[in-house]
Amino acid sequence: MIQLEHISKRFPDAARPAVDRLSLTVEKGKICVFVGPSGCGKTTILRMINRLVEPDEGTIFIDGKNILQMNPPLLRRTIGYVIQQVGLLPHRTIGQNISLVPELLGWPREKTARKVRELLEMTGLAPEEFENKYPYQLSGGQAQRVGVARALAADPPIMLMDEPFAAVDPIIRMHLQDEFLRVQQHVRKTICFVTHDISEAVKIGDYLVILNQGRLVQSGTPIEILTHPSNDFVSRLIGDDRGSKILDLVRCEAIMDSQAPVTDSPKDNGARVQAVWPVKAALELMMKNNTDEVLVCRDGEAAGTLSWDGIKAHIHRISGGTR
Amino acid sequence: MNFDMALFVEAMIHRSPGYITEHLQLTLIPLFLAVSIALPAAVIVTRPGYRRYAAHVMTFFNAGQTIPPLAVIAVFFPFLGLGYGPALFALTIYALLPIARSSIAAISSVPGDVRDAALGMGMTPGDVLLRVELPLSLPTIMAGIKTAAVLTVSTAVLAALVGGKGMGAVIFAGINFFRPELVLAGTIYIGLLSIILERLLTVVEWFLTPPHMKAARIG
Repeated sequence: MIQLEHISKRFPDAARPAVDRLSLTVEKGKICVFVGPSGCGKTTILRMINRLVEPDEGTIFIDGKNILQMNPPLLRRTIGYVIQQVGLLPHRTIGQNISLVPELLGWPREKTARKVRELLEMTGLAPEEFENKYPYQLSGGQAQRVGVARALAADPPIMLMDEPFAAVDPIIRMHLQDEFLRVQQHVRKTICFVTHDISEAVKIGDYLVILNQGRLVQSGTPIEILTHPSNDFVSRLIGDDRGSKILDLVRCEAIMDSQAPVTDSPKDNGARVQAVWPVKAALELMMKNNTDEVLVCRDGEAAGTLSWDGIKAHIHRISGGTR
Repeated sequence: MNFDMALFVEAMIHRSPGYITEHLQLTLIPLFLAVSIALPAAVIVTRPGYRRYAAHVMTFFNAGQTIPPLAVIAVFFPFLGLGYGPALFALTIYALLPIARSSIAAISSVPGDVRDAALGMGMTPGDVLLRVELPLSLPTIMAGIKTAAVLTVSTAVLAALVGGKGMGAVIFAGINFFRPELVLAGTIYIGLLSIILERLLTVVEWFLTPPHMKAARIG
C-alpha cells in the first residue's frame, strides 16, 4: 500500500506548484491510474514515489514505512520503473538489461538467468531469440516489453509506469495493454500508472485519480467517474463518448434481465454472449445479427437476456440523461 | 641549394632514430597527464549540480585551443624557465583541450532517458557513471585522445626551440644550417610516428566501442 500525505512540490522558476498538497492512497495489488493533461503533475507524483524527485512538503509511506528516511538507490531496487522512452542500456544485451536489478541485489547468476528467461517468455519474447540481442535490434513494441520485463525482474511489490505505451502505434498499444492486464492477473503488483489517455486509464485502471494543475480533481473507480463526473473538467476529459466507454466496462450480467426466460423461448434467436463479456460485445452481436435481443450465458447455461431497450435505459439511468 | 642524398640517408639511418624515444616521451607523457586531468574535469562538469557550467567550460577550452603552444611557453617562461619541463607543461596544456572537449561532449550526449532509467532501477550515481555514462562515452573520448595525440606529436617538434629535445632537434638543425635533408628526414619520422600512433589508438578505440555503436558504424 502506498500513502501520499499532503505532498507538495514546486520546481525552481515555476509559476505554480507542480503538485499541490496532494493526499491519496494506492491499495495493494491494484492498478491506480493518474490521468490528466500535460503539466498536471502526474509524472512528478510518480517520480516522488521512487525519490527521483523529492517533495518539498509532506510524507510518503510504503507499507507504513516513511520512504523519505530510506536510502534512495535501495528503495528504487524494490520498485519497478517503466518509462515511455524505455531507457534500455544500449550497450547491454536484452538479457543483461533485464538482469540489471537482480545484479544490483547480488542474486546468484543461476537464479538471475532463470528469471530472465521466465520474464522474456511471460512478455511474449522467445528467450533464445532475444536474450542476446541488443536494444537497437528491437521494434518499439518489443523494446517496451523488455522495459516491463526489466522492471519486473527482481519481483518488486510495486511498479511505477510512466506512459509506458504512449510511444507505440495504436494497434501495438492495444495489444500491449491486453498483455499487461494478463500479466497483472498473475503478478498482482501494486501499480501506479500515468497516462494522458482517458480511454487507456478506463481500460487499465482499478482506480483513477484525475489531476489538474497539481491538484486532485476526482478519484474513484472508472465506473464511478464515468457515471458521476464531479465537474466540467472531468466531463471534458472523459469526452462525449462516455456512454460507449461505459459499455466497455459494464458486464452483460450486470444489466441483463434474468427474469426473462430463457432457452427454447421464441426469443432465442441463436445470438449468445457470455455473462462476463462487456455490454459492447452484446451490442456488436445485435448489430451483426440484426436483432435487438441476445441470450446471456453463464457456464454454458442460459442466465438471462439482454435487449437493446434495456441497454439504452441503463445508459440513460447511470449517465443521468443529457448534460 | 642542392639535395645531398648521402646526408639524407645518413640523417634517416643514424641521426634521427636516436630522437624517437625522446620524441615519444614528449608525446606520451603530456598525453597521459592531459587525460588524467581532462577526464575527471569532464566528469565533474557533467554532474547534475554543475551541468549548467559545462557550456562555459567548453567555451573556455575552445578559446584555449587557439593559443599557439609557443605562446604558452612564452607566458610561463618567467616561472618555469626553459628546457624539458616547460616543454612538457606547454604540451600538456595543449593536449588538454581536445580531450576535455570530446569528453564533455560525449558524457553530455548520453541520452537522458537511459540515465533516468538507470537511476530509477536503483543504480547509485557512481554506478551510473562507471557502468552507463563512461562505457557509452568511450568511443568519443578516444576520438579526442587520438586528435590530441596527433596534435602533440607534431607540436612536440617545437620543444627543441626551448631546449626540450625531441625530433625537433633534427628539423631545426636542418633549418639553421640550410640542410633540407635534415628537415625532410625529421619530418618523415614525425609523420610516421603520428600515423602509427593514430592506428594504434584506433585499434584501442575499436575494442572500447560498445557493440551497438560498432553495428551502427558498419551498417
